[in-house]
Amino acid sequence: MTPGAEANVEYHDTVGVVTLTGEVDIVQAHQLRERLLGAVRNEDLGVVVDLTRASYIDSVGVSLLFELAERLTERQLRLAVVVPKGGLVARVLGIVNLGSVAELHPSADDAIAAIRGG
Amino acid sequence: MKSRIASERLRDLQSITDAALAYLPLEGLLDELLTRVVGILGVDTSAILLLEDDDSTLIPRAAKGLEEEVERGIRIPIGRGFAGRIAATRSPVRILNLAEADIYNPILREKGLQSLLGVPLLLEGEVMGVLHVGTLTPRAFDDEDVELLQRAADRAALAISSRLTERERGLTDALQRSLMPRLPELPAVALAGRYLPAASERLGGDWYDAFTLPDGRLGMAIGDVVGHGFHAAAIMGQLRSGLRAYAMDGAAPGGVLERLSRLLRQIEPGRTATVAYVVLDPHGGALAIATAGHPPPLVQVPGEEPRLLQLPGSVPLGATRYVRYDDHLLQLDPGSVLVLYSDGLVERASEPLDDGLNRLIATVRDGEEDLEHLGDTLVDVLLPEGPGGDDAALLMARAMPLGEKIVARFPAEVESIPGMRRLLGRWLDEAGASQRDVDDLTLAAAEAAANAIEHAYGLAPGIVELHASTDGEDTVTVEISDFGSWRAPRGTHRGRGLLLMEGLTDDVEVVRTGEGTTVELTRRIGVTAG
Repeated sequence: MTPGAEANVEYHDTVGVVTLTGEVDIVQAHQLRERLLGAVRNEDLGVVVDLTRASYIDSVGVSLLFELAERLTERQLRLAVVVPKGGLVARVLGIVNLGSVAELHPSADDAIAAIRGG
Repeated sequence: MKSRIASERLRDLQSITDAALAYLPLEGLLDELLTRVVGILGVDTSAILLLEDDDSTLIPRAAKGLEEEVERGIRIPIGRGFAGRIAATRSPVRILNLAEADIYNPILREKGLQSLLGVPLLLEGEVMGVLHVGTLTPRAFDDEDVELLQRAADRAALAISSRLTERERGLTDALQRSLMPRLPELPAVALAGRYLPAASERLGGDWYDAFTLPDGRLGMAIGDVVGHGFHAAAIMGQLRSGLRAYAMDGAAPGGVLERLSRLLRQIEPGRTATVAYVVLDPHGGALAIATAGHPPPLVQVPGEEPRLLQLPGSVPLGATRYVRYDDHLLQLDPGSVLVLYSDGLVERASEPLDDGLNRLIATVRDGEEDLEHLGDTLVDVLLPEGPGGDDAALLMARAMPLGEKIVARFPAEVESIPGMRRLLGRWLDEAGASQRDVDDLTLAAAEAAANAIEHAYGLAPGIVELHASTDGEDTVTVEISDFGSWRAPRGTHRGRGLLLMEGLTDDVEVVRTGEGTTVELTRRIGVTAG
């Protein structure tokens, strides 16, 4: 029940995986933004944002993903987002058409493999 | 010759408590007192130092010929130097040659004093300060001088004590009043609090507090700083702020109390306090509580006997260096009442504590539903003769059932949004909405509220109002209103906010009037999406 959000960063060789947990919303966006943008290393091929454990995402959280996509594109890096099927997060990302700037995958393994596979 | 002078001096001494002094405020009294002492003893300087409430420090409060002593704000530890030794031994100290004496306060030497005589200010055998005189030429103070100064000090102690009590009382009352919280107004929880200052001269350090946490939950605290006097009340003020700060950082109740215990040991080693801290989710009823040596909170479930929470024993804040306070979880369902109180409400000197607790239980059982009335009744029954030698605090919370519709107002701040979402979610759930309805409508409402917060008021404080109602069947209307001036949303995420509102509801209407803007969100609930 305790709201709030966390961002955990792990690296799989040249792919950064950021797992967002909890409520990715207007209250948490500021601290998540720093973690998210700070996770990108120069040598990486791309970044995976895993939303499997995110229970909620609002327009400010969505904008964070769009901003990340834009920054990665500038550096010719790729963004893959892991979206669990059928929940609120998937509906929200569908409405705002996140698929136009990032690859959407059902699992983190798929997402990492997709970025590695080029 | 000498005896005649002595009798004159004694007569002069009477003037130290004459009628003219009775009406002077404390500063005037001390000033006049020192002037007379200088005259009677034929000395060059005189000073009064009073003991702080912590019983370990003397502070110069008035001086003649030694004004710097007061102005520099020096603090003299009990037992150290000239004045500190007088207070520690409760005996007069004579110094013939200052150059050879153990002196703590450098001002005495800087002023060129040669000889000193000091006596304790005693009231009912307790030290309350030090009165001392000094000369710029060497003088061997004799026994008669000592006796005269001690008599002056005894009279002064009495006069000062009544002034101090009066003033401390005024200060403590003002401090207590300024620290009484404005209780949050929530649609799902009714709150009421009472604080009763002690009737006697003993001033207290009780407090209660209630505040909304950043995640929309409600924090409630009650505490009692051990000890009396303005100092205890000031410690109380620091603990109250500390508790809020740790609570705002999101710590669980036990963690908040552990930090608060460390804070108290830092502020004043040896001081202890009892506290109960509760975090309540106003929309789910989940309640977490931790106590530090505090009397057990009382819970009443409708139709059941009120009961005192049986929590394992715990030590007061500040009592030990390493301490763990556990969280205890329970559920406060609609209709249930939580009563937090300090021991001043239930303790009477003449009877066992259980009698007071039983009276508390019986009064809550038979008491009114309205918390303000219940508060009045509790005070009337438990303290029929008003508060005694201890102050008392009381904080009550009742979980309220949500009605057919909700109207709730929130500060126009981002931090209001999670609480608003949870309130709307609970209401939708009670109205028969599916999880998907709840998710979609609360997100759409949060977007509308974020829009109002970011665009209606600029930097000025404002209010966002939530209305939710059904048409009696399966259609829900949620309205988010602000009372500011309309400004077109800027930035891409606000554009996405409108997109989300439209995508997650059946209809979005934006109504702008001279008074503000209302966003109306409509959706059929309980319908499986096709």
